[in-house]
Order: sequence, then structure tokens, then C-alpha cells
Amino acid sequence: MFERFTQAARRAVVLAQEDARERRQAQIRTENLLLALYDAPGTPASTAAALLRRAGVERADVAAGVKRLAREEAAPDAEKLALLGIDLDEVRRQAEETFGPGALERTRAGKRRRMFGHIPFDAASKKALELSLREALRLKHSEIGSEHVLLGLLHAEGGARDLLAARGVTLEAMRTAVEELGRGQASG
Amino acid sequence: MTDATAVAAAASSKDPHVGLAAVAALRALQESLEELQVGNARAQGWSWAQIAGVLQVSKQAVHKKYRRLGY
Repeated sequence: MFERFTQAARRAVVLAQEDARERRQAQIRTENLLLALYDAPGTPASTAAALLRRAGVERADVAAGVKRLAREEAAPDAEKLALLGIDLDEVRRQAEETFGPGALERTRAGKRRRMFGHIPFDAASKKALELSLREALRLKHSEIGSEHVLLGLLHAEGGARDLLAARGVTLEAMRTAVEELGRGQASG
Repeated sequence: MTDATAVAAAASSKDPHVGLAAVAALRALQESLEELQVGNARAQGWSWAQIAGVLQVSKQAVHKKYRRLGY
């Protein structure tokens, strides 16, 4: 579905995946996409970032929201197991004593859990990407730029929309801003 | 609030997300440990039937699951 994405929008998708991986999330969430919009490179490429800044939302605001979320949702395995009274460090120590360093991580289940190659989009972020296409079509734009991804994020239910709504950014207002942008310059 | 107390508070909140995630982590750990033990047993010359007997699963199940790993 990314054929019509601009280079910047594609880059944002890749960055969102990297962000999710660093936070050890199981899935890519809309918040990861929103944060990635700030980091996608390029000149008109930073269209979404420019729109967000003009709406008074800085990268730091989004980053704070994402950080809070990651702490809530993606507790490391050690913390989850501690809830059950299991000391993962102790289990790992015993496994390594018997089977060598990195024993747990070398197993199939260990690899699946830690060295994720591909992290899937969660339902909300998938929907947001689909809606970014619809937003581009609606504006009769032939390519999907970062600004359309931003509209998709505002359109789909999800953490990104909540985060932006809390800062007074609405889909309607941003649609207008993107339309005005479209009259002047190329999409990014 | 420290992370530990946050976790403890979450544990008593009956939040299904927390409880289910803990079970998923446990399952992954169990899978890892089982693989280590099966590999060790095979390396020591145990048959699939012996391993299955102690694991309390069918011989077919354990063979199917680990055969491809070259044990």
C-alpha cells in the first residue's frame, strides 16, 4: 500500500517501526507514526512537522506522550514475570550456568521475543495509513505525503488522535491547513 | 511512583492487559526453557519417547515441534 507514498512519508513509516522496536513494543502504534513525522527528513518533506509546529505541537510534547505510553503498555518481560512472582534474572542466571551465556535468548522463543525483525502495525495505525490514502484522494492529491499521514492519524481512532486532540488539534482544522498548503507548494 | 510500585498497583487493578501480558511473557519463557531442556536431552542421547514421557506430552507433539531444530 506504500507505492504512492512520498519518500518522506515512507521514511516516517520506517522510523515509526524503529521507534516501536527501541521501545520494545509488540506492535507499531499511531503514537510512533506521529513522532516519526517530526523526524522524517527532507525539505518540503517536513510538511507534517511544519503543520504540527504551526498548530503549537512540538516534538517534545509528542515524545512525552509516547514515553508515558510505552511505560504503561510495554513493560519488559522481567517486570511482567515479577507480577507472577518469577524472577527472570534468576531464571536466566540458572539457565546460563547450565547452558552457557545467552542461553535463553538463543532459543526460538527467545529470538521471537527480542530480536524482532518485523513489527506489525496495530489495528489503529493500519487504519490511519489507509485513511491517509483517503485523505489524499479527497484533496485530489496524487501522492501521499507526511501531511496526509498526519490527517490519517487525526481521522483514525488512536493514541495519536487523543494526544493531538488534547492539544486542540482537530481533523477539520488540519484539513483546512493542508488544503491551503496545497495551493502554494508541493507536497512532502 | 517508582516502576515497581506502579507495577504492583497495576497488578491489583485487575487490568486484563497487564494480566494477559504477564501470561504471554510466561509462555515465552516456558518455550525457551523447554527448548533448552529438549536440546540438552537429545544431546545426551534421549529418545523422543523418553523426552515426551517426562514432559507429559505425546511423542508426536514433541518430535514435530523440535525435529526441525536439528535436535
